[in-house]
Amino acid sequence: MNGLVIEKPLPTADGDSQAFWEGLRSGRLLLQHCADCGHVQYYQQRICRQCQSDNLQLKPASGKGTIHSYSVVYRAPGPAFKDDVPYAVLLVDLEEGPRMVSSLVGKDFDALDFDAPLTLKIIQINDEVSLPCFELAINELHSS
Amino acid sequence: MRNSRSLRGQVAIVGVGQSPSGRVPGRSPLDLTADATLKALADANMNKSAIDGVLTGNAFASSFHRFSIALSEYLNIQPSYSNTLQVSGATAGAAVNTAAAAIHAGLAETVLLACGDSLLTGMTPDMAIRAMTESRDQQYEMPFGIPVANTFAMTAHRHMKEYGTTAEQFAQVAVTFREHARRTPGAQKTEPISIEDVLHSKMVTTPYHKLDCSLISDGAVALILTSAEKAKEYTQHPVYILGGGEYYSHEHIFLMPTLTQTGAVESSKKAYQMAGITANDIDVAGIYDCFTGTVIMMLEDLGFCKKGEGGAFVESGEITYGGKIPTNTHGGMLSYAHPGIPAAWFHFAEVVRQLRGACGERQVAGAELGLVHTLGAGFSTQASTVLGTENTL
Ligand SMILES: [Zn+2]
Repeated sequence: MNGLVIEKPLPTADGDSQAFWEGLRSGRLLLQHCADCGHVQYYQQRICRQCQSDNLQLKPASGKGTIHSYSVVYRAPGPAFKDDVPYAVLLVDLEEGPRMVSSLVGKDFDALDFDAPLTLKIIQINDEVSLPCFELAINELHSS
Repeated sequence: MRNSRSLRGQVAIVGVGQSPSGRVPGRSPLDLTADATLKALADANMNKSAIDGVLTGNAFASSFHRFSIALSEYLNIQPSYSNTLQVSGATAGAAVNTAAAAIHAGLAETVLLACGDSLLTGMTPDMAIRAMTESRDQQYEMPFGIPVANTFAMTAHRHMKEYGTTAEQFAQVAVTFREHARRTPGAQKTEPISIEDVLHSKMVTTPYHKLDCSLISDGAVALILTSAEKAKEYTQHPVYILGGGEYYSHEHIFLMPTLTQTGAVESSKKAYQMAGITANDIDVAGIYDCFTGTVIMMLEDLGFCKKGEGGAFVESGEITYGGKIPTNTHGGMLSYAHPGIPAAWFHFAEVVRQLRGACGERQVAGAELGLVHTLGAGFSTQASTVLGTENTL
């Protein structure tokens, strides 16, 4: 890749998602709550995916979730991720209901398990972008 | 009944052609696809002037946005029906279903379906990165480093958790298809492998090792479809389209309704209903095998075994000769070739040859009914097609 600068794909907000990425910059993972049918959704769009109402309210997530599935990535998906491997990608079930893709903070892969509790940790990538990542809620696991 | 319309027996595949595949340096995707087309025309004893429809998928190693139009120009064909379809790995099945519908509806009489790419030797670094990352959402998936392989890995991992499916059972799929590839001229990988070899190959993304993952290849396939009335003008062994079904359940992996059950349930149900058959009637199958676990999940969803029993089904030899449903007798994407979107076109080529009785030492004896199931994008896209010989009409 001689001299080619490989940058990670970073999100570009659009009309649907501007509030979401702004929320992360100010430390909140915002979910859309439908005022008409009660559906809670991730990711952001103008209408409710369950009832198509546009009466949606943004509320910050508690930051608690569990692992629905995961995979530890050893072969990087392109040169931009080469320095990161191995890393774990997660399917997280949020306490409020929605499921999302995220990645694990740290490399404690042995502690990963289905249904293991997680805590949101927002990682600032640059001035524009902060990503909603998760870490294992080890203490909670031991105390509960 | 939701829809009484049917294309059962209305359209047949009359020509099949393939370019060289595997490592084929120095040949562009258009060149490879044209090569496959000329071979399919020769196979059908057909002049290209008979082609009035062209459907393709796109090629990563080609800069053309309208591959079907570029291919037509390359071959000097001016079709009156054309499109470049994009439903990822399911494009092959969707193209066959769509072409059959177009012919049945009178939009075209004879349709060329062709797809080629050079993923192995024809990609610039830019193209490779694009191919790797652009297929997932740039906002809610890709920033976390989750290309399409990881979406399949997480479904397989959950399948292990829910049903006790094992890494050894995944590995058995790779071992079986490698055995099949050893009988197939032109297969990219033919050295025998064992379950141990699979388990000891490098970890790519848990639970998948290198040998659980499909190959990267160059290559192209072409199929020619025409109306049942015209089919006998070209071949003594038309292979008829008996049923088609598709299903598109989600875009983002986190909105997949259930990680361990896919839209293949719905797509195959529709195809079987149209064909008037059940999974038990099928003699030979081509099943999209991007990863070993994908095949295990599909065997369940396509109705060849019960949910959760796919691993044991594979382990007991049911997907090879003498088993319940010999699958990917050419070796599949795990061992024959995987040039990207064209990969599943090879499954069609193989099942057509099986139904013609033309597979030589890898022939499934007495094969009359075949299923090809193609899928893509983390199980987002699903297309099933039931094919049959004249006896099945
Ligand atoms: Zn609603």
